[in-house]
Amino acid sequence: MEDRKNKDVSASEASPVPSTDAGADLGPSSAIGKRLKAYYDDVAGEPVPDRFLSLLDALDTAESNSQTSKRS
Amino acid sequence: MGQEPDFRKELISIIPNLRAFAASLAGSFDRADDLVQETLVKAWDKQHTFQPGTNLKAWLFTILRNEFYTQMRKKGREVQDVDGIHAMQLAGHPEQQGHLDLQDFRKALDQLPDDQREALILIGASGFSYEEAADICKCAVGTIKSRVSRARTRMADLLGIEGDGEFGPDSINSQIIGVAPAA
Repeated sequence: MEDRKNKDVSASEASPVPSTDAGADLGPSSAIGKRLKAYYDDVAGEPVPDRFLSLLDALDTAESNSQTSKRS
Repeated sequence: MGQEPDFRKELISIIPNLRAFAASLAGSFDRADDLVQETLVKAWDKQHTFQPGTNLKAWLFTILRNEFYTQMRKKGREVQDVDGIHAMQLAGHPEQQGHLDLQDFRKALDQLPDDQREALILIGASGFSYEEAADICKCAVGTIKSRVSRARTRMADLLGIEGDGEFGPDSINSQIIGVAPAA
């Protein structure tokens, strides 16, 4: 679909990947690399669910409560 | 005090990656999010052991991976469903609707041994270097490389891709549509 020209573009976009040869044969121009990314980004592209934000808030609160009670 | 707000912010920025990695390990989204939750709690408890300036993402992936294998050892493999449940859950996931090719990919991914699958994800999708992936999986760099290479060959077989890179997604899509049951 959005492809064909993508191959050239993505070859240059692929360079900011770490120094090593990481994923050299899984680059965006490989069929598997492309679908692997699509699969992964399908989840990674979602907004962070509220449950995790509330969890971090709760951990934060619990921690500062225990710190203040220790101190007083 | 002091370092928490940054730590929190950085944790949050890595959550999407953790979820994607967890989903690839665990299969179901519910289980993946439970894993992420455990990881966040553990990371919060151990945040004093994290050395600022080192790779927080790799640190979190390591915690999540350890948690996953600990749970696997406890529960056995009963949760590791290969075809049916995965596919159904993916279909029920709003973001995945209409992504038949992703389901197909997921099924192929599920057929890889755990060690190959995680290596493939870490290198091909999470953006880690071979060295970082080796650290996360506690094995040699060469081991990661060979796992990725074997995983890639197996995926090409399973997906019927020959000479990876020569086929555009269009031809792959049509193959999948040919195989998928008519809705």
